[in-house]
Amino acid sequence: MDTLQTSLDGLMIGSTYALIGIGFALVFGIMRRINLAFGACLLFGAALAIYLEPWLGWGVWGLFLVTMVGAALASAYVERLCFAPHTKRTQSMTAMIASFAIWMQLDEISSQMLPQRTHAYHGLEMPTFWLGEISVRGDQLLHFCMALVSIMLLYVLLYKTHLGLLIRATADNPETAYLLGVRVPWLGFIIFLVAGILGGVGAFMILSADGYVTPMFGMWSTFKGLLAMILGGLGSLPGAVIGGLILGVVETHAGATLGAEYRDMVTFGLVFLVLIIRPGGLMGVKIYRTESLAQERI
Amino acid sequence: MDPYLASVLTNMTLIAFLAISAYLVLVVGEVSFGQQAFFGIGAYLTASVTVLADGHVIWALLTAVVGGAAGTLVLGLLTIRLSGLYFAISTLCFAELLRFSLLHIRFTQIIDGRKLGPDGPEGFSNIRWIFDNHYDVTDFLLLSATCLTVLLLLLFGLARSRLMLRARMVGNDPILAQSQGLNPTRYRLGFIALSGAVAGFGGGLFALFNTHIEPAMFGVMLGVHALTYSIIGGLGSPIGPLIGVVLDIGLLESIRQLAAYRMIVFGGLVALFLVFRPEGIISHRLVARLKRQWGSRHV
Amino acid sequence: MHGICKSFGGIEVLSDISLTLQPGERIGITGANGVGKSTLINIATGFLAPDHGWIQLNDLMLTNCPAWEFAREGIRRTFQSSRFLQTATLEEQLFQAGHTPEYRNRLADLLHDSSLQSSLHLFPDEISLPVLRKAEVVRGLAAQPEILFLDEPSAGLTADELHQFGTFLNQKLGGQTALVVVEHRLDFMVMITDTVMEMKLNQELQVRAD
Repeated sequence: MDTLQTSLDGLMIGSTYALIGIGFALVFGIMRRINLAFGACLLFGAALAIYLEPWLGWGVWGLFLVTMVGAALASAYVERLCFAPHTKRTQSMTAMIASFAIWMQLDEISSQMLPQRTHAYHGLEMPTFWLGEISVRGDQLLHFCMALVSIMLLYVLLYKTHLGLLIRATADNPETAYLLGVRVPWLGFIIFLVAGILGGVGAFMILSADGYVTPMFGMWSTFKGLLAMILGGLGSLPGAVIGGLILGVVETHAGATLGAEYRDMVTFGLVFLVLIIRPGGLMGVKIYRTESLAQERI
Repeated sequence: MDPYLASVLTNMTLIAFLAISAYLVLVVGEVSFGQQAFFGIGAYLTASVTVLADGHVIWALLTAVVGGAAGTLVLGLLTIRLSGLYFAISTLCFAELLRFSLLHIRFTQIIDGRKLGPDGPEGFSNIRWIFDNHYDVTDFLLLSATCLTVLLLLLFGLARSRLMLRARMVGNDPILAQSQGLNPTRYRLGFIALSGAVAGFGGGLFALFNTHIEPAMFGVMLGVHALTYSIIGGLGSPIGPLIGVVLDIGLLESIRQLAAYRMIVFGGLVALFLVFRPEGIISHRLVARLKRQWGSRHV
Repeated sequence: MHGICKSFGGIEVLSDISLTLQPGERIGITGANGVGKSTLINIATGFLAPDHGWIQLNDLMLTNCPAWEFAREGIRRTFQSSRFLQTATLEEQLFQAGHTPEYRNRLADLLHDSSLQSSLHLFPDEISLPVLRKAEVVRGLAAQPEILFLDEPSAGLTADELHQFGTFLNQKLGGQTALVVVEHRLDFMVMITDTVMEMKLNQELQVRAD
């Protein structure tokens, strides 16, 4: 029973990791880039929400909205400054380093908006449901549903809209897409915006469930998102979801059995093992150097 | 010399070791987010040798070098099939795993009535080498600056040799390198091990200077900063990373009042800088052009 | 090489290709686009592993060895896009491959060409394509290879430049080095090779009667 409870808790947390992981996977899958500033964008959204709270006074849903919008705006800013200028294939590292610099910047700006170590981030007051001996927090259940809805909306966007078609075409083959008239640079802006929105939802989920936010949230969520994506396979959207869920479950179990301080260690260890043994992640994305050498047109 | 200035400059030299360590990995075309872990290993090893084993500082630093190189070699061998982002993330994981291990190492002994040794999250205190040997800040600055200069001279020598050009070829265009009969794996591992040795040495000096080290000091932030210094400074010459270090720490110190806003300014500047000059300040082309001019003037 | 087969994603590109070279023999391989010429070169030089078949150099079995071993054993090649390090001068790159006096002398001999001499201190992107192609050949020949593969060297060259390049090749090629040129310019191939073979999809190499 305990295992089931832990697993359920893990799934709840994992769903938030999944959303953040999708944020990374969207950018990597389509643009072959890693946005290291992503977590900081989420922190910025949350910080902005708390900062504006006294003025707006919209309560929890206000926090949700501003977090989402703030994260999306920050994400768009990062795209314009760090990724739009470096679109050539060889410049992925440059873009990543630039995004790291902005990670620092956004972290600092957020810290300025959150002068204390921790700030209350109000969650929803909801009852806890009981199924036999298993308990499920009402607000976490709601969050899980929100994550589900977000992912479904993303699916609709990608597979049922014209924009989604453009995105998928670009992911498959950027050069051809460009030749066919797809406006690739503009597309990057949209991708980052969507990633920011999804990440914002995820951030809201975690923070309102925990009830507080600290300036460490930027780094923390960056790690979680990256690791979820790697577990599932770099760039794979379903992989990010599965990776996030598995990360959540494994982590929660590790925390329950080994203690909280070992939790993070298990995460890093797991990802490291995955990288060594099956770098393609669960979805088996092909990555070996020799293979890519072969694919490259000599 | 003003002790404050001396300590700032010493800090620069110590971080320079880490930046150069990151640079050496960049030469062979990979990015490492984990060099700080070997910096930390070097620090702990040096501290252990001088404090627990009462060893001579030369042995202490030598142990740090070997330890750093060994650590990176292990990482390099484990990740031998990985490259690019996968390699980068694996270095991150490896570094954090090492740091967690440090958090759990407790090996304290009572020496002269004091509890000494690595003590988990509390770290390793009372690394008294500089006090016992009567080094003040300026003396230590001289020491670390000399070591750094020696390293730079060695690297300049390396840069002029065919070895460096071949390593650059491996990093820049592995297909070209292979067509020339170069085994990319050997260069990769070699330079990765070298980077670990340099990081370890820097960490050793760091431990001696700081007199107190703890795992929290060797987090990802430190490593990524060092990496950034390398990239901004430019990979054209071993002096590049040093320039990156001087720029940031210099900026930090010169706008002390705005210290809180430093990252906001510096972060933005770095991103902007990369838009206009992604190859860094001291790029390969710049160096080669300078060499060309220098050469033609001497003909 | 013998019995080489290679498939990509279910499509068989090379089907039982065999080729034997004598020392100093010069052959050309031509064929339509997409027939597998690049694949053949990549396999022959170790950059791709064949699905079936083997590759042997004198007494050495090279199948499945990494490309750098192929190069070490004396199989050298040029690339369609003349690969050079963009951040080092031509001189640096040519001289990095060896340090013995014999190597230097060989290199000096090979470089006995005014266009090459005047470009030595330049960066590859400052050098014109014909000169770069020559430099690539020099780079390959300086290693005294057993076999030199040329991958579509005529790409980007005018007829005059191509003729000049052919003369250059004939001058510089030593007796012992075998040459394999993958090309589609027949006139050029006839100039520098003794036999021309044709590749067709899924068939063995056949000698062209003309």
